[in-house]
Amino acid sequence: MHYIWKEWKENIKGKGLWLSFGIIVLVSIGLLYKSSNLSFDQGFYVLLINLFDAVIYFIPIICLFLGAFAIFQEKEQKTLIMLLTRRDDYKSFLLQKSIAVHSVLLGPVLLWFFAYLIIIKFFFQPDLKAYLAFLLSLLCLFLIYTQLGLLIGSISRSRMQIVGFTVAVWFYFFFLHDFILLSFLSDVTYENVKGFSAAYFINPLQAARMFLESSLGVYSFDHMSKLLQSFMWMKPGLFLMANAVLLLFTSYILAVIFHRKEGTE
Amino acid sequence: MKKRMLLLLLLPLIVITLPKHSYAAGNLQSLIDGTKEGGVIHLENKTYEGNIVIDKTIDIIGKKGTVIKGDRTGNVISIRAPHVTIKNLTVTHSSLNRNSPEEFAAIKVYTDYNVIDSVAINHFFHGIYLSQAHHNTITNAHITGQGKGIIAKQGNGLHIYYSNDNTLKNNMVEGTRDGMFFDYANGNQIINNQISETRYGLHYMYSDNNYFEGNTFTFNTGGAAIMHSRGIQLENNEFIFNYGHKSFGLLLLSASDTLIEENTFFLNQRGLYIDQATDTIIKNNRILKNQIGIELWASSNNQLFTLNEIEENTIPAVTLGGQGSSNQWSDQGKGNYWGKTFPVLDLNQDGIGDQPVSYQSSLYELIEDQELTYLFLKSPAISIYEKMNQMFNHDKTMFKDPSPIVKNGGSHARKMLFVLAAAAIIAIIFIKGRHQLCIIFGRNGRKT
Repeated sequence: MHYIWKEWKENIKGKGLWLSFGIIVLVSIGLLYKSSNLSFDQGFYVLLINLFDAVIYFIPIICLFLGAFAIFQEKEQKTLIMLLTRRDDYKSFLLQKSIAVHSVLLGPVLLWFFAYLIIIKFFFQPDLKAYLAFLLSLLCLFLIYTQLGLLIGSISRSRMQIVGFTVAVWFYFFFLHDFILLSFLSDVTYENVKGFSAAYFINPLQAARMFLESSLGVYSFDHMSKLLQSFMWMKPGLFLMANAVLLLFTSYILAVIFHRKEGTE
Repeated sequence: MKKRMLLLLLLPLIVITLPKHSYAAGNLQSLIDGTKEGGVIHLENKTYEGNIVIDKTIDIIGKKGTVIKGDRTGNVISIRAPHVTIKNLTVTHSSLNRNSPEEFAAIKVYTDYNVIDSVAINHFFHGIYLSQAHHNTITNAHITGQGKGIIAKQGNGLHIYYSNDNTLKNNMVEGTRDGMFFDYANGNQIINNQISETRYGLHYMYSDNNYFEGNTFTFNTGGAAIMHSRGIQLENNEFIFNYGHKSFGLLLLSASDTLIEENTFFLNQRGLYIDQATDTIIKNNRILKNQIGIELWASSNNQLFTLNEIEENTIPAVTLGGQGSSNQWSDQGKGNYWGKTFPVLDLNQDGIGDQPVSYQSSLYELIEDQELTYLFLKSPAISIYEKMNQMFNHDKTMFKDPSPIVKNGGSHARKMLFVLAAAAIIAIIFIKGRHQLCIIFGRNGRKT
């Protein structure tokens, strides 16, 4: 618990967290204003889809930076050495640090989106189940990218390294992964479509989007062709859960194995 | 003795005054049979057992809570006389039998000039079925099926078969197999209906000269599929959120002489999907935020696109299967508005761009060969893929609009936003950066 409190006290003094919240609040208000002339019944779903499409542009990079600098700060201030001397176990330190960073980041974001729901009620007919699906998709993205940021912070020895790794990870998931898959798309057959599907859903952005759109009832999987049925060999929710568990676990393990205890200026 | 007499007297009274929850089928049918031609039957606020056959011209008017419940062996209400009116009631529990030669419905109409108004229908195979029935009016019906995705176990909300000159107005259909199904039905008017959560909101074939206005098709697998038909007019309809894999707002397949005017195609997988269609006029429509705005197969000829707003689609238009012949993207010097992604100069301010707008894409090959391509349309990687192929000249021209429309003047809101942002930046500099500014420009807080 004291890790969470410590993390909160450190972050409220800094600009990063507030800047991030500011961007989230501004974008959501802006999109609500832009969507205000949509119909009362369908406008809610349109808003959620547009909001998701907007936040995927900055949530990953923000989470990567916040996660990375949360760990790197401990190295810079030499508090990491002190904590490890006391506990001598990077695994438990990283676990508690991860929980603290996730709590500090997610708590206010979730609070904001619950308040946002109240504002939405003045404009559209809300659907609570759909909104919870939206929050769950966002939650998964926050968790995954923050944990990846913690990995980057653990393995980096300087700020420049953090920036480099962060940009590389963001670029990979945002552009490169799908670009590679597009290049292999014409080679997809019934034999290898499941493998292709697994590769497709490794991208948390695609997994979260598919889950959201199917939960909203917007994306329909009725009358699937045989190829698409083979492609969707699990439900979108299960794909997202598997993706989250795999990436969280992998990031954690890699951070434990390859971490560096000290950083440089 | 006296007690026995009293009991004998009381017994009929008890029987008469016992509350009844419904009339037996025989009673309602008897009521109909006993009513004269041209008569009106006012039903009570209760459940009547079906099935009933109306074989004379009468009006049946219900109240809130009037239900006619079928026995699941056939049509709940069969109308076999003309000029019948059915109003203000709920009809439920038709046969769901798929193996019978007849397709059953909650209300099946075999005659002409009937009116069905304000009827709620549920638990049915077909909702309202017009079978060689002409000049009928169906209004304010609320037809609720078993749910989207249930195809084999149920039929269509409104099924129009070999029936002409009917009016379907202000009806709401949801969760049926198809919302409205037209087969060999001509000259009908379909106005202000709302169809949602079906397979095809409109499934339409071999039917000519029908008019669709003000209808809304949302959350269907396909908004409207118009096939093998001529002379269709679609005006002011909305096709929104028809968004499944390979879904579409409007499909034209082997349709000719179709007029599509002032409709909205918004957030569909494909706004318009045109295959083997000829002589279509697509005019003054809004095709916005679809994955593919217009998917045009080369088998289609003489399509005319003019005065449409085609913007914020992932792919504005794609031509597949080769280049179609005689498709035009402008008419009499007026093309389409392609949005901010196609900036166009208009130096003479006549509202028409000074250069043509064209769009090259390499995705057409992937879309033709591999249906999984649609899964990537929302990915930012698409733009990189297109750029890479452009560099290696692997792309092809999808369309060329010789006279693109230009919209003059930015939005007032956008200008205000820029002004506010500039003001915020200046305020931040003054509050936080004054000291730095002073150092840079020499005063450093001193009075000199």
